[in-house]
Amino acid sequence: MIRKRNEPANYRPLSPCGLDVGQPKTWVVELEGARKAALETGRTRLIVSALVFALAFVMIGLRLVDLTLLQSDASAQIAKIAPANTEWRSGRADIVDRNGTVLATTLPTNAVYANPRQIRNPDEVAGRLASVLKGVDEERLKGGLASDRSFTWVGRCLSPRETDAVNGLGIPGVYLQHDECRYYPHDDLFSHVVGYSDIDGQGIAGMEKTFEEKLRGGKAPLELSLDMRLQHIMAEELEAAMTEYSGIGASGLIMDVDTGEILSMVSLPTFDPDRPAAASDEARFNRATLGVYEVGSVFKIFSAAAALDAGAVSLEDGYDISKPIRISRFTINDFKPKDGWMSIPEIFLHSSNIGTVHMAMEAGTKAIQDYFGKFGLLKRGAVELPENGSPLVPAKWREINTMTISYGHGLAVTPVQVVRALSAMVNGGELLAPTLVKRRPGERPVGEQVISEQTSAQMRWLMRLVVAEGTGRNAEAPGYMVGGKTGTADKLKASGGYDRNNRIASFAGAFPMDDPQYAIFAMVDEPKPTEKSYGYATAGWVVAPAIKKIVQRMGPVVGLEPRALPSEVGPDPLFVPVHLKGRSVASQ
Amino acid sequence: MAGYNLSFRRAPSMSLLQKLLQVNWAIVLLICALAGVGAGMLYSAANANMDPWAERHLIRFAVLLVLLIGIALTDIRIWFRFAYPAYFITLILLVGVEFKGTVGMGAQRWIDLGVIQLQPSEVMKVTLVLALARYFHSLSLEDVRRPLYLLFPLFLVLAPAGLVLKQPDLGTAAMLVLAGGALFLLAGVRLWKFLLVAAGAGAALPVAWNFLHQYQKNRVLTFLDPSSDPLGAGYHITQSKIALGSGGVFGRGFLEGTQSHLNFLPEKQTDFIFTMLAEEFGMVGALGLIGLYLLVFIYGFAVALTSSNHFGRLLALGLTVNLFFYVFINIAMVMGLLPVVGIPLPLVSYGGTAMLTAMTSFGLILCVRVHRDISIPRRGLQGEVV
Repeated sequence: MIRKRNEPANYRPLSPCGLDVGQPKTWVVELEGARKAALETGRTRLIVSALVFALAFVMIGLRLVDLTLLQSDASAQIAKIAPANTEWRSGRADIVDRNGTVLATTLPTNAVYANPRQIRNPDEVAGRLASVLKGVDEERLKGGLASDRSFTWVGRCLSPRETDAVNGLGIPGVYLQHDECRYYPHDDLFSHVVGYSDIDGQGIAGMEKTFEEKLRGGKAPLELSLDMRLQHIMAEELEAAMTEYSGIGASGLIMDVDTGEILSMVSLPTFDPDRPAAASDEARFNRATLGVYEVGSVFKIFSAAAALDAGAVSLEDGYDISKPIRISRFTINDFKPKDGWMSIPEIFLHSSNIGTVHMAMEAGTKAIQDYFGKFGLLKRGAVELPENGSPLVPAKWREINTMTISYGHGLAVTPVQVVRALSAMVNGGELLAPTLVKRRPGERPVGEQVISEQTSAQMRWLMRLVVAEGTGRNAEAPGYMVGGKTGTADKLKASGGYDRNNRIASFAGAFPMDDPQYAIFAMVDEPKPTEKSYGYATAGWVVAPAIKKIVQRMGPVVGLEPRALPSEVGPDPLFVPVHLKGRSVASQ
Repeated sequence: MAGYNLSFRRAPSMSLLQKLLQVNWAIVLLICALAGVGAGMLYSAANANMDPWAERHLIRFAVLLVLLIGIALTDIRIWFRFAYPAYFITLILLVGVEFKGTVGMGAQRWIDLGVIQLQPSEVMKVTLVLALARYFHSLSLEDVRRPLYLLFPLFLVLAPAGLVLKQPDLGTAAMLVLAGGALFLLAGVRLWKFLLVAAGAGAALPVAWNFLHQYQKNRVLTFLDPSSDPLGAGYHITQSKIALGSGGVFGRGFLEGTQSHLNFLPEKQTDFIFTMLAEEFGMVGALGLIGLYLLVFIYGFAVALTSSNHFGRLLALGLTVNLFFYVFINIAMVMGLLPVVGIPLPLVSYGGTAMLTAMTSFGLILCVRVHRDISIPRRGLQGEVV
């Protein structure tokens, strides 16, 4: 034993670490061999451990240098690429509205398929699968599972819940795989414009089809000119009008008169683009671009513009409208016959067929045909949809055609053509190409000058007159200076001739008329009279009130405030009572 | 084997002020710096938000800093006296976790004490060192050489290690064994015994392998070859390495790390916070943090060297080694040098119990420093009122 008796009071128990600093030297000297060895061991151990730890730190330090410096390039490359993968990317780009709201997107989903050869009991399996998957036809599935093939689809585009349920069933021979599915978050609001794609994500209608290539390869979303808010307003008001008057369909468009961008395009009835196969042909039909209609008195806008611009008539001219016009076996009458003379503004205001025919004939068939051609009403529409209808133009344009077409019969056009020509009437006479793709900020398309600036101003005045005092009074949205023209046209019967009980009620207008920004066209197909409309199913009753609501709702959205009527703040060039040739329109 | 015939030296009665002056404030500043780095990274991890991590991290640190000072100023003989009770209370809590614990992240590690939720396995890392230091303090060198005397400390290590392993928490169990082994080594247990244990463990490895959970096996296998499953089990490490590389020498800049902010990095607020730091501050920042830790550990060793009582020396050494393992394992893990185990980075990672452990450890190390001149008799403090 190496212990020492009578140790000093300040004895420090010697540790095997043996590193008591400041120990009396004499003490160390007194140690015997074993003790000394132990002390050395302890000291060595501490030093060795400290060295091991230091080595460990050196190791991680070197590794750090290795990873950050030597392998840095490759990693930085990966990290640079990585952000692109943060959001799930599909092979197909989104479609968004002009404000970036997603109208169509592709999501990762799961598909479930089966190997029928591995299915022991097809009937039971089909029943269990059908119980957790909605939209799977059990009978069809049974047939598929009972076949002796080695592959059959059970369902695609499964929701996470459905995926989980299928997984939970744990049926041997039933497999899940990753899939991509196209979704349309706004249900049926954009069905006709956006279109739809098939189960493999290939666009087969609408913009999905037109821009198939771009969408397939692209990452940047396709920006449409549509504004979801205006689309919603238009759809809701048209639906309401259509329901109230029991129409079979409706269509509506809003166009920016300065850029040609279509801000809203609605066709009713509509369908769910997620399930286009379930929809009827009638619902899938895009009335706004594919349907051609005789829109009746709305065409008087174009007739009047042609006659005025050709210089055939002036606003001071007038005609005797008391006698119906007879040409060969036809007779042209007015809806509400009036007596005597009427000025051009009065003819427009009261929508006189007879007066319009006189006006058109004054300009001549050639001029009317030329002008209508320049207005883009005689050629196929050119909006970016695969569904573009061609107008029904008379095979041979005779005098009688000029007469009937002047008040909107005998020439059937698409609503897009109407709203496009309408924009040119009010924007200073420039016909712009209509587009469903958002223009870049500041991009101003160059159009064709189809009527003079002056004629356009006259047309604005005439159209404002119709809403302020004429057949379009129900469209008057106070403070928004709405102008326009109503049109009620009997539809053609399948057997030929016109059906007096089935009509198209439409309204073509723009606002605000002192500086038009938006052209609106809306129509209801086959409206029926109601008690509230006193037995009328004319455009003034059916469509004009809807226009008023649309304008009043969209004004705040597009940043237009209702202004005090100019008549309240002073004389208004667009609002003077019509006193022409000694007669007041108001007194009629 | 007669004991020392010592007359117990009265503790030099130090006033609180004297003790306060004895505290090494430079080290307290270093600790604050570490916690500050942690708060900064947690702020970044939450995409420049104090919520949910950075703010709580700082509040906890502030509270625990008071505790740290309190521990440092408490007479070391109190810690000596309560070493065993503390150990056994922790052991009971650890057993309690088995029966009443809360399951979190697939393992049963937490116990709800009403006021706080505690991870007894974390606390055990401190109390185990306390108990072992207490035990080896009372042994003479000859006793240490006798195998019988090693049975009790072996129990002290293996009992909690086994319980923690059962939770299952392989990382913490390994840390307990490593820290215990280090204390055995420093206490003077013969080297051939370590070799024997190592050989035995090596022989038992194939058997133990079968007791591992599948995820643990996967971790080991992916550690051996991370590229075998880069999108599965190897994903964490692959992403972590990419982040380290993307940092380069000077980093991408504070709040600019793409790997972390775009959620490629798993558990960026806890286990992988070092990666985040390395991505945003580059090699320089990461080496800086390692340097901070190094300074703290050197201080821990120095404290051990200057302690005049064996208990304090072993305590300081054990705790320093413990903290060293934390830092080393965590950093080595995120760099792919070790398999993925859930070991946080002391004071930097988010987590209450881990910070409690670290702050208690630092408090005890400082306490050893403050009370370095107090001697404790080998047979303990019979009846001594401190």
